[in-house]
Amino acid sequence: MTIQQVLFIVIALAVLGSAVFVVTTRNLFRAALMMIAAFFGIAGLFVLLDAGLFAVAQVLIYIGAISILVIFAVMLTRGMQGMVPRNSQATAAAVTVAIVFAVLLLLFGPLRLTIDVARWPVLSLFAANTSPRDVGGIAWTPPGQVIPPVPDTYIADFGRSLVDLNQYLLPFLLIAFLVDVVLAGAIFIARQRRPAEVAEDRQLQAEEEAEEAEAMRRAGALPGPASLPEGAVASTSDH
Amino acid sequence: MQNVLNGIPLWWYLVVSSALFCIGLYGTLARKNAIALLMGVELMLNAANINLIAFWRYLAPASSGGLAFAAFVLVVAAAEAAVGLALVISVYRATRSIDPEKLDKMKL
Repeated sequence: MTIQQVLFIVIALAVLGSAVFVVTTRNLFRAALMMIAAFFGIAGLFVLLDAGLFAVAQVLIYIGAISILVIFAVMLTRGMQGMVPRNSQATAAAVTVAIVFAVLLLLFGPLRLTIDVARWPVLSLFAANTSPRDVGGIAWTPPGQVIPPVPDTYIADFGRSLVDLNQYLLPFLLIAFLVDVVLAGAIFIARQRRPAEVAEDRQLQAEEEAEEAEAMRRAGALPGPASLPEGAVASTSDH
Repeated sequence: MQNVLNGIPLWWYLVVSSALFCIGLYGTLARKNAIALLMGVELMLNAANINLIAFWRYLAPASSGGLAFAAFVLVVAAAEAAVGLALVISVYRATRSIDPEKLDKMKL
């Protein structure tokens, strides 16, 4: 049992335990804090995978920005008082999720399904060799092959690949554009509305409700006169 | 015959990311609050990122493709969380409720 195995098991249990807490607790604020714990655990997994750049990026972006944003949102919508019940489809969701997880375990887990390519010759069109292969298709290295180490310059190589015309420059520029648009859009969506705008929103809502009620009356769904006098708001007492 | 690195086979990481994805999926489907729903989505995106980095490390550590993919997932997840929470705040201001089951009209 190497030290990395022990570390992996500890961190994986912490991540999954925090995640279960996040999705089952009734206290939104505690859920946000346990989500931060889960993100820390995931950063630890990235360190185990020799991707230190992504561990730091995970901490900076997920914990330093997104979690703070979530906590702000929890605070700004305090009218719910932070008690989150389960909704009407919780049991169906749990069953679906269990089935999905079972399928994923069958494909990738410790008791994987394997297919013997020799018995199904049509698969030899897709398989390079004829040894038993995973249904999930994970590449098996031949015995004795060592996984190469990460080169020392992997961060510089990654950075260069983002500005290289032949590599990932285009997605990089698209992502930058996306972030600009999202910044402007989020500020606009969540802006404080002036009182004039609030009154205008309410009037638009009332007019739309009146139109909908009138359309339902015309279709015969509701009793009442076929048309409303101009400017009147439909009463909703008969729902 | 397995991909083993320092004693950790690749499928351990895949099992963890699958479990995290399923937990996030449950959180998105079964919660009555829009912010809790978004937290489930963030867990799912993190599971995808673990998957990407694990495959990068085990199959092609010398290339940058896996890292680029994971970086883009990271950035898009942050952007989507920002917009989603802005929408939640806006909806809360208009209707004083963020129960996704009650938000079934397209008008605000």
